[in-house]
Amino acid sequence: MPPLTEQLQALVRLQDIDLLLREARDPKLAGHEARLGFATPNLGRVERARQRLASQIDDRLLQTYERMSRRFDRVVVSVEHRVCQGCRMSLPTSSASKNTSGVRLENCENCGRILYRL
Amino acid sequence: MSTATATAAALKPATAIEGILRSTLYLPNLNARRKTSALEEMVQALVPAGVTRYPAAILDLLAQRETLGSTAIGKGIAVPHARSALIAERAVLVARSIRGIDFDAPDGKPVQLFFLIVAPSVGRDPIYLKLLADIVRAVRLTKVRQRLIEAPDFAAVQEALVHAAAD
Repeated sequence: MPPLTEQLQALVRLQDIDLLLREARDPKLAGHEARLGFATPNLGRVERARQRLASQIDDRLLQTYERMSRRFDRVVVSVEHRVCQGCRMSLPTSSASKNTSGVRLENCENCGRILYRL
Repeated sequence: MSTATATAAALKPATAIEGILRSTLYLPNLNARRKTSALEEMVQALVPAGVTRYPAAILDLLAQRETLGSTAIGKGIAVPHARSALIAERAVLVARSIRGIDFDAPDGKPVQLFFLIVAPSVGRDPIYLKLLADIVRAVRLTKVRQRLIEAPDFAAVQEALVHAAAD
């Protein structure tokens, strides 16, 4: 399992911001927060911050992430006890890492999500 | 306690706060004087507690959440919150600032009580949402806020919060 490299960490941060934006756009969740007193008026500013972060990520890695985001809410997931936390399938003891534009990644052999260890 | 009272207590739904508060996640007097440094001080405390190994990323996410809209809700309270793939376990950090910190509150008042809620981003998390609701509800009453401000130690904070959330 590769360490959480700078690029992979940036990708996880991008995913976190995507979740933040998704929840802020979700009428039910945003309504829940608003009723508690948390207004979320500045979506545009966070969207711009997302763009800035995305521009720091390797193009091919970002394209892979954006493509997989259409299938999965979470593209980058952790591995716990050798289980992919995206699809919950056990992973083989040793999985080969592969290179994508020099960024070492490991993908779940079952669902294809990008893996990392916390 | 009478049998009837004991039964009623046993039947009362447990609050999400119960069981999640930890003495290692209590900062009785923040050194920070500004919003960003207050968030940073709180996030740094998550590291030795084993909640995250990536404080810079968590701080950045919380800053983005604040950009979206302040998590200060007035009356000296702020509840910064976010979910991240870089959080190992759900946690609530309670922090206090005696002098108060400007946190862009809707009423303009400095914040003295902070409840930082973080959770892993693993799909929908109803407990995270319940924690948020329980804490906001718990601190609505002036007497609860006063107890928290004057609490001599973590045990008093825990008692005040759990009691108020269960009411």
